[in-house]
Amino acid sequence: MAKVFLLIDNNQIEALTDVLSNYQTYNSQKDVHDLVFRVNEYNPDIILIDNSFSNCEILIRQIKSAANNQNIQIILLISDNNNTSCINLADGIIETPVKKNILATTLSSHSKIKKSLDRLSENNKELSRSLYQLNVLYNTSSRFAGTLNTKQLYDIMIEAMEKTLSFDISSLLVINPDNNLVFSLNTLYTPSENLVDALKIRSVLNYRTVLETPSLIPKEKTDNITLIQKIKQERTSKVYGLEAISFDSLFAPIKVGDSFFGVVELFRQIPYSPEDVTCFQAITHQVALPLRSAKLYEEISITNKKLEKLEKLKSEFVSIVSHELRTPLTPINNSLEIVLSEQAGAISPDAKNFISMAKRNIQRLSGIIEDLLDLSRIQAGKLDFQYSSIDITPSLELLQKTFLQVAAQKEIKIVLDIKENLPQVYADIRRIEQIFSNLVSNSLKFTQNQGSIVVSAKVIDESEINYENLVMPIIAPKGKYIQVSVSDNGIGIKKEDIPKIFDKFSQIESSLNRNKGGVGLGLTITKQLIDSHLGAIWVDSIEKEGSVFNVVLPVVDREKIFIMDLSHALINNDNVGVVKIKSKKELNLVEHLKTNKLININHSKQEFDYISNDYSNYFAFIPKISYDSFNALISGINDYCHKIKQDECDIILSNAHSAKNGVDVFNIMKILNSHF
Amino acid sequence: MKKILIVDDEKDIVETLSFMLKAKGFDCICAYDGESGLSLAKNEEPDLVILDVMMPKINGYKICRLLKFDNKYKNIPIIMVTARSQDVDKEIGEETGADEYITKPFEFSLVLEKINKYLA
Repeated sequence: MAKVFLLIDNNQIEALTDVLSNYQTYNSQKDVHDLVFRVNEYNPDIILIDNSFSNCEILIRQIKSAANNQNIQIILLISDNNNTSCINLADGIIETPVKKNILATTLSSHSKIKKSLDRLSENNKELSRSLYQLNVLYNTSSRFAGTLNTKQLYDIMIEAMEKTLSFDISSLLVINPDNNLVFSLNTLYTPSENLVDALKIRSVLNYRTVLETPSLIPKEKTDNITLIQKIKQERTSKVYGLEAISFDSLFAPIKVGDSFFGVVELFRQIPYSPEDVTCFQAITHQVALPLRSAKLYEEISITNKKLEKLEKLKSEFVSIVSHELRTPLTPINNSLEIVLSEQAGAISPDAKNFISMAKRNIQRLSGIIEDLLDLSRIQAGKLDFQYSSIDITPSLELLQKTFLQVAAQKEIKIVLDIKENLPQVYADIRRIEQIFSNLVSNSLKFTQNQGSIVVSAKVIDESEINYENLVMPIIAPKGKYIQVSVSDNGIGIKKEDIPKIFDKFSQIESSLNRNKGGVGLGLTITKQLIDSHLGAIWVDSIEKEGSVFNVVLPVVDREKIFIMDLSHALINNDNVGVVKIKSKKELNLVEHLKTNKLININHSKQEFDYISNDYSNYFAFIPKISYDSFNALISGINDYCHKIKQDECDIILSNAHSAKNGVDVFNIMKILNSHF
Repeated sequence: MKKILIVDDEKDIVETLSFMLKAKGFDCICAYDGESGLSLAKNEEPDLVILDVMMPKINGYKICRLLKFDNKYKNIPIIMVTARSQDVDKEIGEETGADEYITKPFEFSLVLEKINKYLA
């Protein structure tokens, strides 16, 4: 029955009683006091108001201005047509004297209009709420995608539910990564202790029901649940008692496929609509997927950390074992030498032969231990380089002499073909000798008797580098290079084996001829040493005909390049930054600072590996560094490039990353290049 | 006859080395730990010391420093011997004032070469 608020004379009401008796009425007695308040309280569908009523216009305006009253139908009783302003405000008019049938039809049609309008407003409201929910869902889904942190994911979920479903209480029971149960309670007002306990028990029961295999939560675990409680309006005196359990509630397990994460339940005094249920389910569905990713991510991170630790242990193990192996070798070697030199008495020619054999093998063993040590040092970034400008010609000539005897035994000729007046390279002479000694010794191993080995050296341009065959992709700065090639007419290498020969222990792993001695570390070390010199290596080989190992080393003007081995100092340094070194004097200072001091400098000034700002002589030494730091560098690189340009520095020190990812170095340099 | 002090806790190394040095005409005195090595160096005043790094009681670096910072002994040449990573050791060896540096395993000819540099 529609409600009618009467603002007309009592005698009129009496005359219209039989029509009005069909409605619920409120007679204001034309009492002006508190009229608007009483209208609001009564919440009528129709107001019947007499035009002659004083302040009629103001009253109508006041009533209509309230948002809740906008649908109220105002019907004006008019005796004359003079008061037109009021007529414009009203929804309908009836002329006095009122005819009963007109009043009856007017009231009935306007109560229908009011009902329709109410329904329309309600639908509108629902629509806008749904729209809001949709919007929150959309935002939430993108926020879910943005993190792999389990706790954050749950927080986002609860936040989304709070926005869309405005709960009084939310209870969430989940297994956290270390397999303990966590019970999170978010409430609007403070819950009583009894209620907290009751909700906890309810969640555990729900959890067991959903899981269907209660054995998965042992009893002792449910006794030991971590409680996290958040109260939104803690200061108010309002408290939730046990009655809150009987609020309307929404419940869902959080799971995807076989992965089960927990249960969530919402309580609200005002009942939830079917749309709310859909929204609730959508959110719990949405959170499950990233939760599974987060779980996998956590598992991978843990495994990764274990692997890193293992790798470090392995490296340390190799280093310690190698050191321990060196000690006993000394007296063995010395004893053999004493016997061999007949200082301890004469020995037979046969004995001499066998003692020599033992001595040769001791030397071989020391060589292998030395290789292992070098490799573990390279991997730990601890290999020390002493760079200077050197001529490589004497080193290559020395090589020929060193291998003369071994080569003679196999009747192999070692031929030198070195162009005159080779420019100097900036390198560590010990390491350069190690590189070529490894290559020649390798060729000797794989060349049959009466073969020949040619060591040639010449100057080439950057464009002549055989990029296609490079073992590792690099960016080679423009300019001159010295190319040293060691070629033999030995057994050659199968095409598919070429990339493998630079891997650790390749001789053991692959089908390569195993009878040649050595553990296959020589080429791995060689390649790493060449990398450290900013050079490159490639192999041309035809099976059964021979192989050519080509090494290029950049020809560098000493005045324009400064190589500092920062690998040691930067291993644990996560900062990225720039240092300005203007004069050569200052540079020398830094160059001579040993690792510990360099770390200090790095922290205060934030400096890292470096390049010359002259593009044509652009070189970088990339020290070994963690992957995270590398990412930090990549993400910040544009800012830094900008800074570099502003500061016009001669050198950039930057922690890049391990030399393993040639492509990544390439990217960094490409970005840096574009700024210079 | 030149007197050489060998200090190393590896008895086998001391024994072979002293045998070879004696054959080359040197007088050898030996110590198997840092403490007795230091007292021998002070009491016997050898012409040269061959000093291992890793030793019980007092390590080689410490002995080297004690001798090199003492005006009475600072002119005695010291050759450091170690099996540890040469890069780090060389640095510390230089700081402690050692004259020469050899890593294990070493060739006798190399030791002799270094000795002759100071005693020839």
